Amino acid sequence: MTIRNTVRDHGQRYRPRMACLKKAERMLLEMQDPKTGVRSQPQRLVITTIPHAITGEDIVSWIAETFQIDASEAKNIGTMLVALGYIYPVQDHKRLVIKSDASLYRFQTPYFWPTQQWPVEDTDYAIYLAKRNIRKKGILELHEQEQYNRLHKWMNHKWDFIVMQAKEQYRAAKERKKPDRVVFDCQERAYWVVHRPPPGTVSAMDCGLDRRIDPNAEEPRTPDFYERIMIFTQQSIMRPRVKSSVSIAALVKYCATYNSHDPFLSKCLPSNPWLTDDVTYWNLTKPNVEIPTKMRVERWTFSFGELLSDPRGRDDFRLFLKKEFSGENLAFWEVCEDLKWGTAATMSEKAEQIYKTFLARGAPRWINIDGKTMEITVSGLRHPHRYVLDAAQTHIYMLMKKDSYGRYLKSPVFKDTLKKAIFPEEHKFTDAQLEHNSKNRRPSLSPVVLRQQEQEQRAKMAANAPVDITQLCRFTTPVPHLAVYSGITDPPSANTSPTLPFLTHSPACPSPISVALDSTSASERRVEPSEGGEGNLQAPASVCANVTKSRMPLSLRRLLKRGCSPANMFASLSPKYHSAAGSSSRIQPICPDQAGQAPPRRIGK
Amino acid sequence: MPLVKNKVGDDCTLGKDEALADGEALVESLIKVVACYRHLASCVGGCTDSLQLRDELRQTREKAQKLSVSICQHLTLHLRDKSLPEEQRKEMELLWVAFSSSLELFHVDMCKVFRMSAIFSLDGESKLVQNGFQGGGSEVAARALSLPDLNQAESQVPAAGLEIQEQGIMEQEICRIDRMIEDMEKKVNVLRWMVEPHGPQYPDPVSSPDSASLALLSVDEEQPGNQSPCTRRQVLVLFLLFAVVLLATALSASIVFFS
Repeated sequence: MTIRNTVRDHGQRYRPRMACLKKAERMLLEMQDPKTGVRSQPQRLVITTIPHAITGEDIVSWIAETFQIDASEAKNIGTMLVALGYIYPVQDHKRLVIKSDASLYRFQTPYFWPTQQWPVEDTDYAIYLAKRNIRKKGILELHEQEQYNRLHKWMNHKWDFIVMQAKEQYRAAKERKKPDRVVFDCQERAYWVVHRPPPGTVSAMDCGLDRRIDPNAEEPRTPDFYERIMIFTQQSIMRPRVKSSVSIAALVKYCATYNSHDPFLSKCLPSNPWLTDDVTYWNLTKPNVEIPTKMRVERWTFSFGELLSDPRGRDDFRLFLKKEFSGENLAFWEVCEDLKWGTAATMSEKAEQIYKTFLARGAPRWINIDGKTMEITVSGLRHPHRYVLDAAQTHIYMLMKKDSYGRYLKSPVFKDTLKKAIFPEEHKFTDAQLEHNSKNRRPSLSPVVLRQQEQEQRAKMAANAPVDITQLCRFTTPVPHLAVYSGITDPPSANTSPTLPFLTHSPACPSPISVALDSTSASERRVEPSEGGEGNLQAPASVCANVTKSRMPLSLRRLLKRGCSPANMFASLSPKYHSAAGSSSRIQPICPDQAGQAPPRRIGK
Repeated sequence: MPLVKNKVGDDCTLGKDEALADGEALVESLIKVVACYRHLASCVGGCTDSLQLRDELRQTREKAQKLSVSICQHLTLHLRDKSLPEEQRKEMELLWVAFSSSLELFHVDMCKVFRMSAIFSLDGESKLVQNGFQGGGSEVAARALSLPDLNQAESQVPAAGLEIQEQGIMEQEICRIDRMIEDMEKKVNVLRWMVEPHGPQYPDPVSSPDSASLALLSVDEEQPGNQSPCTRRQVLVLFLLFAVVLLATALSASIVFFS
C-alpha cells in the first residue's frame, strides 16, 4: 500500500452509495439490444470509420418510448446518463449534456463505468495526464496543468513509475489498430472529464464525503446489530405522536412561509454567490450589517426565535427594549445562553455574576420572574451547572415572546428598520462577466479574524456602562468588571455613590453563592454594622435618597420579624417594585406617600 | 528509465550492480505487462469481447504474476541485506516503490476484470456493450507476452467451459496478490517520503508526434459551427504538416527518379 493522498483520507475511503448507478447500468444494457435497443450507425472520419455511434435524438426517443414519458423528461434522463459517464459525446466532449439533434454519442466501455467499488485513483489521473503530454507537449489545459503539478508534489516518490507506466501504455496503445486507438483515447478522455471535471462545471459524481464503511459490503449480523435494531424500535414506540393532519399542516405552513426565502426554491437576490462568484449577497447579509435586507427583516416577523437567532434582529430588539426599559430580560437571556454554551472553567464565575446582576434582591438589573422559579434557580445556583438557569431562561423567553415581541413589531423602531431596509436588484451577468468574476475570486475573512472582531465588539459593549437605565439612581453604579451584555446606555449620573447598599443585607440573608464560595471585591461590600445603622450610610442630600434609605432598614426590620422568606423579600426590596412605568430616563423620586404605601402593600399580601 | 548505474566498484558491487540491473529489467517488464493488461481489460464487456480475449487476459495475468513473484523475492532479498551500500539501497527502494505501485494497479485491474466477466458472461444471454471497438487485443497481448508474432497467441482457441474455471482461479489469484502486498509491507520497511525519483516531471515525447491520430482526434473534437481561432490554428497546423509530408514524398520521388 502506498501513501494515499492524506489530505483527503481520514480513514474514509468508500464512496457513498449512489443507487442511480445500478439503475443506469441496467438501462444501458437494455439499450444494447440490436432489435429493441438504440439504433447505431458508423461515424465517418477523415481516414476511417468507427462503428456504434448513436445520435442524441435516437437516445431521447428510445428513452421516451421505453418508459412512456414525455420528451423533456427523457432528455433529462439522457443528460443524467451522459453526466454519470455511461454515454459520452463524441464532439464537444466537455459539455456533458444530451442534445436532441444529430450530434453523436457513444457508449462507454464497461471498464470505465463509474461503479461503486473502485474509487478513482489519483495515480491513474497522473498517468493519463502524462500520456497526454507524451502525445503532444503542452496540450494540457490550465486546470489539468495545476492538477499535474499538485500530483507531482504529492506523489513525488512514484513519479518515475508514473512516467514509465505512461510510456508503456502509450506504446501498447500504438500496437492497436488506428480506429481502436482513437476510440480508446476518446473513452479515456470522457472518463476523466466525468471524474475530474474542469472548474466551474457541475459534476454528477459529486456525492459528498467518503464514508468510513463500504456501503456495498453486507453488514454482518452480529448480536450488536440486532441490539441496535431493538433499541431503535423501542424508541420509536415511545416517541410522542402527532396526528398526521396536524404535522402535515405544520409542514405546509412552514413551507409556505419560507418558500420565498429559500435560495434554492426562489431567486437569491442579488445573485447566488456560488453560481456567479459575486459576493454582494454575503456582504449584504453579514451578521452585524448596518442596514439589513428586506427579506431578512420580513423573517423577523415570522417568529420570535427567528428574531433572536439573527444577530441584527437581536440588536434591533435590544434597541427597542432599551427604549422600553426592559432590556434586562434580553440581557439575562443572552447571559444564560452564554452560560449554557460557554466553557466549563468559567461557569461558576459566570453564575455568580449572573446572580449578582440579575437575581439577587436589589440587583442592578433585576428580572421579574415568579417566586417558584426564583426559588429553584437560587437553590440551584449553590452548585452551578450549565442548565441551572434553564427554568428562569424559559420564563423570561416566554415573557419576551408574549409581551415585548408583539409590541416590538408595532413599534417605531421596527417600522423604521423596515423602511430603511434595502431590496437589492437582481444581477444580470453576461458570460464574459461571469468568467471575469470567477477569475477574481478572493477568499473571505478567515473565521478566526471574524471571531476576534466579534469578541472585541462584545468587550466594547460590555465595557460601556452595562447597567440598565431603569435601575439607575444614586445607589446604583455601573460595575464595569461585570461583563454583562447590554446596549449602549447613558453615562452614569454624576452623583451616584460607588457603594451598593442593597448588598449590605448579606449578613441577614446572604446570597447562596457567597456562602458557597467567597469572592466579590471589597468595593462592593459595605458592612452594615447593625440593623438600624442608617447613620453609617453616607447620606446624599436628597429626599429620594433619604426615603429610599429609610425604606430599607424599615423593611429589614419587618423582615427579621417575619422571618426570611426569599420571595417576599425580593418583592419588597426590588426597586422596580416602586418604580413608575418608566418612560423617563431617571427613576422618579419616590414621594413619601409611596413609601407609605409600601408597608400596607406588603401586609396586604 | 534513466536510473543511474554505478559502474565504479569492486567485484562485490559488480555483483550488486547486476542485481540492480536484473531488478530494473524485471520491473520494466512488469510495468509493460500491466499496461498491456489494462488495454486488454478495457475491451472486456464490449462488443469485441470473446473467449480469445479472455484467454489473452489469462495469459497476461499469469505472466504478470510470475514476474511479480520473482521481483518480490529478488527485491526482498536485497533490501533485507544489511550490507547494501547507500546508493544501491536508494535504487532498490525506487524499484520497490515502482513495483508496489504497479502491483496495486494490477490488483485493481484484476478486480475489475473479475467483476465484469461475471456480469458480461460470454454464454450469449448477456448483452455486450457496443463501445466502438472493432479489433480485439491480440496485438497488445502479443506485446505483453513478448511474442514475436501473433500466431502463437491466436493458435489456442480455448474451450467455453474454461470460463467458469477461470473465474474461480481469478478469485484465488486476487487474494494471493493481496497477501503479497501485505507481506511486502511487513517484511521490508521502505520510507516512501525518502525516495526521490530521477526522472523529469514531464515525460518527453516517445517518438515523433503521431500526426495521424492527432488529426483524427482533433477532427473528433471539432465543435460544429464554432469557428474559434483555436480550431483555425489546428487546421493551419494540419495543412502545414500535410504540406511537409507532400514535400518529403515529392523530394524522395524525385531522388529515386533521377538517381
